Amino acid sequence: MLSLQHISKYYQVGGNKNFVINDISLDIDEGEFISIMGPSGSGKSTLLNIIGMLDEPTDGFHYFVDQPVHQLKEKQRAALYKQYIGFVFQAYHLIDELTVYENIETPLIYQDVKGSERKAMVADMLDRFQIVGKKDLFPAQLSGGQQQLVGIARALIAKPKLLLADEPTGNLNSKQGEEIMELFRKLNKEDGVTIIQVTHSEKNAEYGTRIINLLDGRVESSRKL
Amino acid sequence: MIKNYFKIGWRNMMKNKFFSFINIFGLSVGLACCMLIALYLNYETSFDSQHKNAPNVYQVITAFVQNGSKRMKMPNTPAPMAGALKQEYPEVVETARLLKLFIDDKTIIQYNPANGERKSLLEQNGFLADQSFFKIFTYNFTEGNVANALTNPRTIVVSKKLAEKLFGNQPALSKVIHVNSNTNGEQDYTITGVFDDGKVPSHISANFFLSVAGGSMEGFIKRQGNDYASNNMFYTYLLLKPGTSPATLQAKLPTFIDKYAGKDLKNMGFQKEQSLLALRDIHLSSEVESNVTAPASKTYLYVLFSIAAFTLIIACINFMNLSTARSSKRSSEVGVRKVLGAEKSTLIRQFLGESVLMTLIAFVFAIVITLILLPLFNQLADKNITLSADKDTVLFFEFLLMALITGVLAGSYPAFYLSSFNPVKVLKGKLTNSLAVVAVRKGLVVFQFIISVVLIVASVVIARQMNFMRTADLGFAKDQQIVLPLRTANAKAAYAAMKADLQQNSQVASIGASAYYPGVFNPSDNLLYREGQTTAEGRRTRLNYVDNNFLQTLDIKPVAGRLFSPAFGADTNVNIIINEKAAKEYGFGSAQNAINKKIQNNYQGNTTAYTIVGVVKDFHYEDLHLPVTPYGFLLNTGGYNYMVIHAKQGNMASMLKTIEASWKKYDPNDPFDYTFMDDDFQKNYQADTRLAGIVSYFTVVAILISCLGLFGLAAFSAEQRTKEIGVRKVLGASVKTIVSLLSVDFLKLIIASVIIASPIAWWLMNKWLQAFAYRKDIDWTIFAYTATIAIFIGLITIGSQALKAALANPVKSLRSE
Ligand SMILES: Nc1ncnc2c1ncn2[C@@H]1O[C@H](COP(=O)(O)OP(=O)(O)O)[C@@H](O)[C@H]1O
Ligand SMILES: [Mg+2]
Repeated sequence: MLSLQHISKYYQVGGNKNFVINDISLDIDEGEFISIMGPSGSGKSTLLNIIGMLDEPTDGFHYFVDQPVHQLKEKQRAALYKQYIGFVFQAYHLIDELTVYENIETPLIYQDVKGSERKAMVADMLDRFQIVGKKDLFPAQLSGGQQQLVGIARALIAKPKLLLADEPTGNLNSKQGEEIMELFRKLNKEDGVTIIQVTHSEKNAEYGTRIINLLDGRVESSRKL
Repeated sequence: MIKNYFKIGWRNMMKNKFFSFINIFGLSVGLACCMLIALYLNYETSFDSQHKNAPNVYQVITAFVQNGSKRMKMPNTPAPMAGALKQEYPEVVETARLLKLFIDDKTIIQYNPANGERKSLLEQNGFLADQSFFKIFTYNFTEGNVANALTNPRTIVVSKKLAEKLFGNQPALSKVIHVNSNTNGEQDYTITGVFDDGKVPSHISANFFLSVAGGSMEGFIKRQGNDYASNNMFYTYLLLKPGTSPATLQAKLPTFIDKYAGKDLKNMGFQKEQSLLALRDIHLSSEVESNVTAPASKTYLYVLFSIAAFTLIIACINFMNLSTARSSKRSSEVGVRKVLGAEKSTLIRQFLGESVLMTLIAFVFAIVITLILLPLFNQLADKNITLSADKDTVLFFEFLLMALITGVLAGSYPAFYLSSFNPVKVLKGKLTNSLAVVAVRKGLVVFQFIISVVLIVASVVIARQMNFMRTADLGFAKDQQIVLPLRTANAKAAYAAMKADLQQNSQVASIGASAYYPGVFNPSDNLLYREGQTTAEGRRTRLNYVDNNFLQTLDIKPVAGRLFSPAFGADTNVNIIINEKAAKEYGFGSAQNAINKKIQNNYQGNTTAYTIVGVVKDFHYEDLHLPVTPYGFLLNTGGYNYMVIHAKQGNMASMLKTIEASWKKYDPNDPFDYTFMDDDFQKNYQADTRLAGIVSYFTVVAILISCLGLFGLAAFSAEQRTKEIGVRKVLGASVKTIVSLLSVDFLKLIIASVIIASPIAWWLMNKWLQAFAYRKDIDWTIFAYTATIAIFIGLITIGSQALKAALANPVKSLRSE
């Protein structure tokens, strides 16, 4: 599905290069469920953002569905991103001014999906996540777990092949966290969505098919489950 | 998509009511200002558009040249010009002369029906016009026939308003009315037409037109004969063949003048340059002196337009500054949207959608404000501008377009700024404003306050100049002077008896009479020169014809020689009293030197000489825009246009009753009418008073909007620094130190504005003051006042927010973080 080869990212601090990602090479196949772990500041989010094309590496080669991302123009990259990738955040990042329904609908608007089609897709998603009754509420009226559910529903609405989640359970209690993980596993198994998540919880990491440990911007270890 | 943008825009607006209020209020007021001024400009540029021939109609302009120096341009020509131009040039299809009943401010019009009450009216804006006048100009006749309206002698065409005043809803056509003016004498006229002057204004704001034939002017024109040099008093209009270039015709006019007036002009010692002024340009040609009606000054229009545009810009700046200042609140939304697939252009459109939504709401309020303020604005500007949904649809769409453009302008900078956020950065945490955007914001605040400070200086300078003109010593006693116009032969004849009667009254200080008085148009003038000199050295001298008591009544002081007085029975109209300026200009060296010397004038080859018996102190016979020029008084034994009564301090109402009783006794047939000399003099400052009013209102509006923006920024800054303030308070900072901490940055901006604005304001207002020959110059105190006002207003605006923040409970604010 994607391949990173000798990817580096550094910030110029004074005269020194401060490496956040240091020469990482990584191949991820379709259908994998990867958990990235590592101490704070080890570059997990940065790596996820590079994979998700939100951030650009300073060096290296990045292939996504056989396309050389490092050579693509902004527009082409955006098109690729829109078609394949969904994002979930620790802080949910729902848009406060939009209702649950509208939050979930937003990616479809940006992909120019027609109104009637949008309606059907959002209804479907609400149904699947059992949040139909909450569709007209605003994020502030939901619990953390419910907000994250909406966040995931929003990430999935455009049927991405790759779901990127940066500490999706970080702000949730363990029961809510488990529910989310079950959901991820189901998505991965039944719908074949490739998932890459960042997590601090060993237990949640175990839901994955592979665990990658980062330290100081390098892959310290990688083990298949 | 648009619906979506508006929806989010609306929710954002409702969520931040305070900021939305500031923005919508500012934009509404700014847009309303622009709408009012647009209506005003629309009105001022619509003059004479109703005339079908307008593109081919021109007014003949005369510039008088003496000793190589050009005097102001005038729209006046001698009577025979019109006819000769038509004869000489085939491209001149038609010509018409127009003459204002210029000696009178009002004309007496009387209707004496066979059965019924006699009506006696005092009417303004009367004209004499050639019969060809209606061939050139389009007038909508509701009665009578345009084609032959003024063909017969003693015929009159009246406005619908005047017809209604005279006859109610009875037909006016063929009725005979009595018209009595100092300019054209006293005759009966038959009504041959009634016109409706409609909504479109004309530079000829006429109430009635008299035929040239049949009045005393007819004789005057005959006596003028073929003199193409003197008595430049007719407005001459040319209708040119379509396609004729006015420039080509104008180029031929020097030859024309040479041929017809060359010899006379040489005798009189001056030259004339003729030019053509297009009909549609007349109203906006303020460089032409004393046209039919006062022109609109283009400069004033530019000034008004700029002020209105600036108020709108100030409101736009509020929107920009508050949007970027609050950007941290929107940044995560931008980040999320980008993650969800939004492109920069989509986000720009979203933010523009929000600003456009805001201006559309403001637009609705602005229309309401405009409709409410229009009557007040009309009063202030002395106009009759209307706005109605059915007639001005195009204008409404133009206003809507203006609002949309405003929305895009105000929204573009925040839209580009907000949409450029990097999602990775903004999603990580709170975004701090970049230094560049903070600098831009400060720059914009300074810009707003520069505008406000310039406006404050302008208001103060204008107010001081107005006050100066109101209180300046004019060189004569302008207060307690009651002026009675003597409009008819009867009134003139009754003067002596009325004077004798009223002089008995102990409240009357003195009574005099004259042809003109200070503050009103003084049309009589002559080129006068010292004995031994020639016409070429002549000085244009205004002349007034007075009785023995006029100078004493006005308290005009002699500096040499004497005033006219009954004690000198030998005084006749060969004696003259001049002002100091005249003595100097004729070259007498001193006032004393001029006494008993002769000055003379040459008219059509005949020389008239006058002996100077007195020199008086210079006085302002014209308003303070104009410098005092040579002036002379001649003694007349009768035929005065005005009776002036100088009353002592006391009960003015009873004084006026006494005067009216005397008038009714000696001239029972003419309506009693009076004015006060100081009022008449002040009327010359109407345009300035209007400007002063408009500028001061706009200043208040601009300051209000600027301060609202500053208030918003201060509130936001205080909110942002809640935690810092809390910590400082816990550490023992006093309220005073916190208030000054929060205020000092903004105060610096205001002081910077004052420093930058002062030279700009000085330069602008100094330019404005140049239009006054007598002025109160700008000094440093104005800037001291302005700085104090600006800083005071700023302090109140910012200080209130700072104080609120400083007084907040620190424990509360720290806990909430
Ligand atoms: N703009 C930046 N300039 C300099 N250093 C940065 C910048 N952004 C992130 N970093 C550094 O990159 C490192 C990795 O960050 P991140 O990927 O968020 O780590 P993690 O998600 O593993 O906690 C951190 O040490 C952080 O300080
Ligand atoms: Mg992280």
